[in-house]
Amino acid sequence: MKPHHYVPSIFCLAILIGWIASGCGAKPSASGAANESRKTPLVIYAAESLIAPFTDLDKAFEKTHPEFNVQMQFHGSIQVIRQVTDLHVPIDVIASADAALMPMMMYTTDNPDTGKPDASWTIRFASNHLELAYRPTSKYANQINADNWYTILPRPDVKVGITDPRFDAAGYRALMVIALAQGYYHQPTLFSDMFKGKFTFPLAYFYENGLTTITVPEIVETVSGSNIIIRGASIDNLSLLESGDLDYAFEYESVIQQQGLQMVSLPAAINLGEAAYDQAYHQVEVDLNFQRFATVKPKFVGERIGYGITIPSNAPHPEAAERFIAFLLSPQGRAIMEADHQPLFDTFPVDNYQYLPDALQAICVPAEAP
Amino acid sequence: MVLPLLSTLLSTTPTEFLKSILDPELLHSLGLTFSAAGIATLLAMATGVPLAYLLARRKFPLKRLLEAVINLPVVIPHTAAGIALLLVFGRRGLLGQVLSPLGITFTDNLAGIVVAMLFVSLPFLVNLSREAFALTDEELERVAMTDGASPWQAFWHVTLPQAWRGVLGGAVMMWARGISEFGAVIILAYNPKIVPVLIYELYEGFGLKAAEPASLLLILVALVVFILLRLALLPKNE
Repeated sequence: MKPHHYVPSIFCLAILIGWIASGCGAKPSASGAANESRKTPLVIYAAESLIAPFTDLDKAFEKTHPEFNVQMQFHGSIQVIRQVTDLHVPIDVIASADAALMPMMMYTTDNPDTGKPDASWTIRFASNHLELAYRPTSKYANQINADNWYTILPRPDVKVGITDPRFDAAGYRALMVIALAQGYYHQPTLFSDMFKGKFTFPLAYFYENGLTTITVPEIVETVSGSNIIIRGASIDNLSLLESGDLDYAFEYESVIQQQGLQMVSLPAAINLGEAAYDQAYHQVEVDLNFQRFATVKPKFVGERIGYGITIPSNAPHPEAAERFIAFLLSPQGRAIMEADHQPLFDTFPVDNYQYLPDALQAICVPAEAP
Repeated sequence: MVLPLLSTLLSTTPTEFLKSILDPELLHSLGLTFSAAGIATLLAMATGVPLAYLLARRKFPLKRLLEAVINLPVVIPHTAAGIALLLVFGRRGLLGQVLSPLGITFTDNLAGIVVAMLFVSLPFLVNLSREAFALTDEELERVAMTDGASPWQAFWHVTLPQAWRGVLGGAVMMWARGISEFGAVIILAYNPKIVPVLIYELYEGFGLKAAEPASLLLILVALVVFILLRLALLPKNE
């Protein structure tokens, strides 16, 4: 069979094409590939909602600091921290959408290599609002508004996306928003209307003396055909919104604006974004019922959203990390964050100010005692 | 080949392993994975076996093209396949739009899992069945038909008895490939979780120790089922 003789040569040709293509695609640098290996790497793990501004920061930082090679990864906010505390990955900068996660998960666990806590300070640098994203083609898109969204979302033909509360802050925050909405709109059955019967292992809900406690099981799985869609990261939900498999998704306002999506503006009393309502937000709490695997049993109290950034104690390049954080908090960084619809705070409070590296102490202020 | 299997075997203590195999989540996921792959294989056999027979026996225009298309899922990355399936079976997809008013949806559904498994593992069934048919004696078929048998009778009584082992072997391969599918499934139907997705989530969410028992269980069960089926299908010694 003659065609078989050609197979080895076609194979070699394919490999050759692949090799040439990878060479052509390489970033052109001033002095070639050798330069790349002399750059100091800077490993940054950040929350998914920071993808747009941090990617822009990455480009700007590498332009003004060509001696660094920034490598960024984005995961859910809890995931980002677990990479350090549970998987002991060497990371230089951790940025999370919930600054409360660092004290809870990093200050009390020790790094096996250094013997020190995984982290000991956190700078709060920005906030956000949790809103409802949708598209013009979403079901009931022409009716929905801030006064009726809670009647539309429980409908069985409406697909609602939430990120996994075990891995991402936006996930447990969405649960908080729904719990707060119950009180705000006087709809005591909203939470069960939305979630009852939708999960293989149910979410538990408990109310006493003005405090609502939601307990999330260790495995979060929606039953076949449920109208609630859970994904580990908010980007996955945005893709499903795009493909039409989701009608509505709980998403941060900054991301909604970055993506140009429609938005239902939730009231300040429930969208977790206004400092004035901090006390009201405290009325809801989400507990993760981790029995077997995790080192920490996380418990999240509702509060005004605060994004946190820190340098883990086992960071392989701490000076590079300090330079990046200083850049983020500089006027240049401020301009980039504003352009991406997530403005920085006016001042940057940090807990445990005394542990902050000197270079950053000048830019930050000690957080007020709660 | 042996080292990864051996190290997984040695990664968990017997007590940890026993605790995990009694875990309701893992067992539920295992049942879901095996049955979804089983459904996919049965559905595939209905169309794939006749197709394999056709490819083995007949020449027709564009046959080469059809063969290339059937083998496409083996070549394209599975996440790309998942996205392609989402475009077809998603709520606004080509087929999804038609089927969803009838109540048939695929996103985050058993149906979606079955479709994803079917798409990526169908080539195994078709190729192995075709080879089995190609090895049967076409002469005997023709003789049967000249003796008065219909084409269907010739197929059922003459060709299939010779080829059934290869066809069933193809089905087993397809099922085995289906239970380990990940990339295409996570895009279309992340929930309810099949075991490959559960292992990934346990690893990502809780670390190595959480994922090891589940990995070991899947490997062992798949190995056992696979070996048993192959033993049943091996021809008896002449």
